[in-house]
Amino acid sequence: MESIAPSAGAEQVPADAPDAAAEERLERNLTPAIAEAGESAGYLRYALGTVVTMFVVLGAIFAFNVIVDPFSLAGTRLLPTALENDRTAKLDLIDKLKHNPQIVVLGSSRSRQADPKWIQELTGKTGFNAGVTGGDSADAWVMVRNIAARFPHAKRTYIWFVEQTIATNGINPQLAQDRRSSGYLGQAGPRFSLADVGTYLGFAATKASWRVAKACIEGHCHGRIRYQPDGALTPASQKFLPEKAASLPKSVKPHLKAAERAPTHVTPFDPRSPRYSYFEKALAYMNAHGATPVIVLNPIYPSIYTALQKRGFAKRNAGLALLRKLHTHFHFVVVDCTDIRVWHGKKKWFNNATHVNGPNMKLMLRYIVAHSQGAFR
Amino acid sequence: VLFNSYAFLFGFLPPVLIGRWALRTKNQRLLFLTLASWFFYAWWNWKFLPLMLSTTTVDYIAALAIQATENQRRRNFWLISSLSINLGLLGYFKYADFFLNNLNGIGRVVGASPGLPVLHIILPIGISFYTFNSMSYTIDVWRRRVTPTRHILEYTTFVALFPHLIAGPIVRFMDLKPQLQNPRTRLTSHAAGVGCYFLVCGLVKKLLLADQLSPYVTTLFNHPHQLGFVSAWSAALGWSLQLYFDFSGYSDMAVGLAWLIGFRFPQNFNSPFKAVNISDFWRRWHMSLSAWFRDYLFIPLGGSRRGPRRTVVNLVITMFLAGLWHGALWTFVVWGLVHGAALGVHAVLKRAGMTPRSTIVNRVLTFAFVIAAFVIFKSPNLHVAGTILSRMAGSAGVESLSTLQAFLPARFVVLMLGLLAFAQLAPNTWEIRLKPRLVYGLATGAVAAAAVVSIAVPHKFIYFQF
Repeated sequence: MESIAPSAGAEQVPADAPDAAAEERLERNLTPAIAEAGESAGYLRYALGTVVTMFVVLGAIFAFNVIVDPFSLAGTRLLPTALENDRTAKLDLIDKLKHNPQIVVLGSSRSRQADPKWIQELTGKTGFNAGVTGGDSADAWVMVRNIAARFPHAKRTYIWFVEQTIATNGINPQLAQDRRSSGYLGQAGPRFSLADVGTYLGFAATKASWRVAKACIEGHCHGRIRYQPDGALTPASQKFLPEKAASLPKSVKPHLKAAERAPTHVTPFDPRSPRYSYFEKALAYMNAHGATPVIVLNPIYPSIYTALQKRGFAKRNAGLALLRKLHTHFHFVVVDCTDIRVWHGKKKWFNNATHVNGPNMKLMLRYIVAHSQGAFR
Repeated sequence: VLFNSYAFLFGFLPPVLIGRWALRTKNQRLLFLTLASWFFYAWWNWKFLPLMLSTTTVDYIAALAIQATENQRRRNFWLISSLSINLGLLGYFKYADFFLNNLNGIGRVVGASPGLPVLHIILPIGISFYTFNSMSYTIDVWRRRVTPTRHILEYTTFVALFPHLIAGPIVRFMDLKPQLQNPRTRLTSHAAGVGCYFLVCGLVKKLLLADQLSPYVTTLFNHPHQLGFVSAWSAALGWSLQLYFDFSGYSDMAVGLAWLIGFRFPQNFNSPFKAVNISDFWRRWHMSLSAWFRDYLFIPLGGSRRGPRRTVVNLVITMFLAGLWHGALWTFVVWGLVHGAALGVHAVLKRAGMTPRSTIVNRVLTFAFVIAAFVIFKSPNLHVAGTILSRMAGSAGVESLSTLQAFLPARFVVLMLGLLAFAQLAPNTWEIRLKPRLVYGLATGAVAAAAVVSIAVPHKFIYFQF
């Protein structure tokens, strides 16, 4: 069979690529060098060796990742997760609470600088910080219900830090797999799916598993971020926080770019949408137990805030409009802290573009308490 | 669905292989392969399946009608009808918006904006490839080079066969006819071994090489105004290597899959970066496409038989259309024209005996030209291409050390130089004479596992967009 391909590195250059003689050369190279040996027993060994080795290696990787379970997808729970697992830590602390916390802080990692001792100084009431990394309304719902189950007859109120989009109905896998949340989340929790098989065959999961396993072998299996009995961060944990950026301006830059391209119009948030189901469930439950929660819109770094203002701040406006609609059904107070100037926040006191540090949080809490319309009385 | 996805490798391929080899009769096998290929296509977007089916039906009928008559006018009528429908569909889906946008642009320039509404047409995946496959069939029947098949499953399998459906290689009916008429009856260990070898080579090229270059190349092309001499050349080199390993990786996977289901596909890449002149490059790069343009456009235009001037014109026309085939963007058009001009210049110099004699000089010059031209191919518009090319020419001087460090991390440089050496010196996948031994099988399997582990977020093959 004649090949149209010239031999590699040939000195004799073939005629110009498209040429007349080519009309006759219709047969093309269909036989690679590897196939030229013809049938032999070696091919069977080669093919079997390839397929078996691939499946054995992939099987071993999958098994390793399922055992370590770095993203808490399989529910193995033999080792800590690669991501910070503060949901379990906070639920453990709730289990150990000796007294009912009169004020509970809810929200994401952006809320965890809220120190209950400072809240007590401001209000005279005891507190507990139940904010968790990536915390959403399902997390808040589970925390509220667990504290209520621990102290069923006590009263408490809430400071709930939310994003501009207010809530989603997503459920964190770590939360879903904790037995203490299953009763409150029903069947909504995720199950190990085919997509998770892909994740646990992947490089990222393997790298994370290796990191977790290595840390355990080296003797610091459990994370370096620790909490006090009232849910506040220990002072030593501050320097290990993942949100602690090496350079604040660098961390601001991508957010600023995104803000400069922020949509000038968003579809109004619909309170009937499933994404608000846990948010509304939690509000209803709090109201039914006599509490008027304080909903705080998280602060935004000043330059990002200015950029968003220039684009019309469509998301925040939609969020506020949603809260106004919900006001017809639920009792709550809204404190808008997005602009740090209103609570005299300091631009320098940010851990990164989205997280204020402890001193800034103190200033914000003072403002929140002052504008809580008596919710903490 | 991508070849480099878990869904394809572990969900689609195993049942297809089992079904293909378990079925007993030719009709069952071809029907199964056709249905599997249509399913494969519909997985992306089922709404475009009827489009492919209509192209298939038109060319099947047209070829039989051409064969059925000796009347040349009728033969021409059927050929022109088939080509008009094929090119009409390709033109509508691929070029309508490009045409309207340019018309609006011209209107604005002359102060009479026609304000034609842009249609925002979704480009059906693989349309350029299967249309060219199908067109070559009717043209070859018209030229009496091939006898059309009456067996509709032979034809549907030829057009839709999933390994080549989305991004080639562009196969001819002549290539596959004997394989379709007498489909192989059992998967031999020989075919399985060769198929596994090519499949793994393709996976490795795509996942462990091309995709690793991608983020660095993207960063460089996103900051054309910050590039200096070194980083601009690095952008060109990085992109050329990424494109080569991506597309030749896809072609290797297609060849491997074809072997696994009992077919043989032609070679599509033959170490193009070892080319000693631009004409040689086009014999080695995307060989099935360049052969298509040679056989169905360049030669009918007169090829190189009508004197040097006409040869140059034919080359420029051919490469202009080859550029446009890649997409409805001026960058592709200009890229094609640049290559057409280079082929023309080379043809003239060669005729005058003025080409350099040193192989090394020829290779270096060809390689430098090819990677510089690929800057036009990659750039989102001609302005960006011009900026990068001017920096490659030294307009911004050599950049500072900090810029170099920012744009060219050590990992990128090492990877790029390693791949450059590989592409220039090592034999390609068609040339490697790997002995089929167990130990090589174990090594291939381990490498395959490494490639599969990096799948988690599959990247599209670059040539899918064409």
